[in-house]
This record gives sequence, structure tokens and C-alpha cells, in this order.
Amino acid sequence: MQQLIDWLFKVPNGTAAVTAKDRMRNMLVHDRLELPAGKLEVLEEELTAVVARYFDLEPDTTRFDLQQMDRKAALIANFRLVRSKC
Amino acid sequence: MGRVIVITSGKGGVGKTTASANIGVALANTGASVCLVDMDIGLRNLDILMGLENRVVYNLVDVVEERCKLRQALVKDKRMPNLNLLPAAQTRDKTAVDADQMKKLCEELKSMFDFVLIDSPAGIESGFQNAIAGAEEAIVITTPEMSAVRDADRIIGLLEARKDEITQYRLVLNRLRPKMVANADMMGVDDVLEILSIKLLGVVPEDEDIIISTNKGEPVSGTDNTRSGLAFRNIARRLRGEEVPFMDLDAKNDTWVTKIVNFFNPVRV
Ligand SMILES: Nc1ncnc2c1ncn2[C@@H]1O[C@H](COP(=O)(O)OP(=O)(O)O)[C@@H](O)[C@H]1O
Ligand SMILES: [Mg+2]
Repeated sequence: MQQLIDWLFKVPNGTAAVTAKDRMRNMLVHDRLELPAGKLEVLEEELTAVVARYFDLEPDTTRFDLQQMDRKAALIANFRLVRSKC
Repeated sequence: MGRVIVITSGKGGVGKTTASANIGVALANTGASVCLVDMDIGLRNLDILMGLENRVVYNLVDVVEERCKLRQALVKDKRMPNLNLLPAAQTRDKTAVDADQMKKLCEELKSMFDFVLIDSPAGIESGFQNAIAGAEEAIVITTPEMSAVRDADRIIGLLEARKDEITQYRLVLNRLRPKMVANADMMGVDDVLEILSIKLLGVVPEDEDIIISTNKGEPVSGTDNTRSGLAFRNIARRLRGEEVPFMDLDAKNDTWVTKIVNFFNPVRV
């Protein structure tokens, strides 16, 4: 009975299926763009450095997200700006 | 003029040949005339799945190299006279036929048949390029495993690059295990569709009857009472333009009500 209840209310987070899907997404973004591993992280650092020349950034809030839209990728960057440095 | 459809996957062993045989039989059962073409040159399999291995005299390479007429090389299925097989050569390799020769062959075949189904070799190199050379449509087949999905994605990318020739492609998801999907142990139909951004043609469950039918040389889609056979028949009907609903059973983020429903009706084909 407990098994049945577990099965009925099982939450899919952290399951093999979710892990596989996340890994797949990440892998295919890189495959499709022919992007070598690690390059994206370098770009993110450089982008952050550029924005930081113009603005004080709120610490630890910068977010980068590579999203797929119909097999095309979009890089979405989110910076929290505190004030201009100019 | 008939339709030339290539069945392709990237990865080997995911079910291209099984799907070719079964979709061929199912299409022939709807009354269409069908020619199955085995383009896995050097690794001839399709004749075995069709139970026609003892009737092969000439092959595709003999036709291309003009050692025989096309008609002489076609093996007619005894059970269904409207189903024909053009076998691969067993002793040659993938370079024995080039893309232009394949185009010419497909032109001739589509003037003779309603459907020309091309079973292709694994890989993305010349064998694959030659197999798709004369095709206007593609069926991309994968299992829900990561490596197979990744290879399918490569194939889709290559098909996209040839949009002018290959005007449509759809996915067949093979060897789905509904129970494992329900337990979130493996990716389901919606996961794979979302990852690949591709239209669905059909879902074929993991089914021991496939192995039995392969041993008998009688594709499952020709016999009633198998889940995989029904799946392939539905695929054939969708290819013919019929709207056959997908039973929706990915059982993942479901409520307990749908879980119970799915429990009693556990597959979506
Ligand atoms: N839905 C299925 N259920 C069970 N076994 C399957 C299924 N589809 C394919 N197989 C088995 O998987 C193996 C590989 O299939 P095959 O069609 O030869 O793949 P490919 O042509 O892509 O290399 C075969 O042994 C076949 O019987
Ligand atoms: Mg094969």
C-alpha cells in the first residue's frame, strides 16, 4: 500500500528522467552551436566585466541562460544594476 | 507519382530496419503499392525481417551497375503482391552507389510505386547522404536514450540543411517503456519532442513480439493483437494523411486520477 501511495504521489524532480532531460538540453545547445565546452563560461565572465565597467552590479545576482527556441539558441543575460559609474 | 521516404536515425540499432519492414507491410495492407529499398549496403538485413532472404537473386548495386533490370531485382512478397523489396548487396560497401545514381533510381521507383521506403545505414557520412539523396520526406527514428536522441538531433540538423529537397520530416520514438516513463526513470514522448523540436509521427513501445516476429520473418504490423503492430499501423495511416489520435499517456506530471487511468491503459502509440 505504501508503495502504491509513493507511486501515486511521486514528484519527478531529481529523477533519472529529469536529469537526462537537463543534460540533453545542455548537450544539444552546445552541439547545435558547435560550441566547445567551457567557452560559454568565458564569454559570461567577459560580458560581466564589460557591464561592470559602466555600472556597479549587485553582487551574485548576474544570471545567464541559454534557451532553445525552435532549434535556435538565445543567450539571455540578466544584470542587476545598482548605479552608473559614468 | 509516389512518395520517397527515407528512414534514418544516426545511431545504429535503434530500429530503422524494423520500422522500415513494419511500415512497409502496414502501408501495403492499406492497399498502397510499396517498394522497400535496403540502402544499408554491405549489411543486408531487411530481407531477413521480411522473410525474403531465400528469394534474393539480384540487388540494388546490380541494378545501378546495369547487370540486371530493375524489375528483375525486385523481390515480390508472396503474402502481398503490392509489396516489393529491392535488396542491398551483401558483399559491397557504402561507396558502391553514389548520390546521383540513387536519385535516378528513386525517380524510376516512384513512377512505379505509391510509396518508396528507404532503409538507411547508421552514421552521418556518405552512406547516409546517399540514402537520403532521392528522398523528399524523412522519418527520423530514435529511442528515448540520450545517445540516440543526440544522434537524432545531428540528423535533424542535416535534414534542415536540405530543406529544399527534404520537405518534411517527423519522429518515430521507438522502444518506449511506459512503466519506466511513468516512474520518471527515463525520458518520455513529450520530453524527447520538446528537446528535438520535431513533429511526432508515432510511438512504438518496447515489445517482445518484435523479436518473435523478426525470427519468423513476419513483421508485427501484419498481425493483430500486438501493441507494436498497432503502433506501426497507426504510423502508416498517419503517413497516408489520416488523423489518428495519439493516446496521451506520458504519465509524468500527472494527477493521481490520470495516473490510475494510465495504469489501466498504459501506452500511447
Ligand atoms: N520496439 C521494439 N521492441 C523490442 N525490440 C526492438 C524494437 N525495435 C527494434 N528492436 C530490436 O532492436 C534491434 C535493432 O533493430 P534494427 O531495426 O535492426 O535497428 P537498426 O536498423 O536501426 O540498426 C533488433 O534486434 C530489433 O529486433
Ligand atoms: Mg538496419
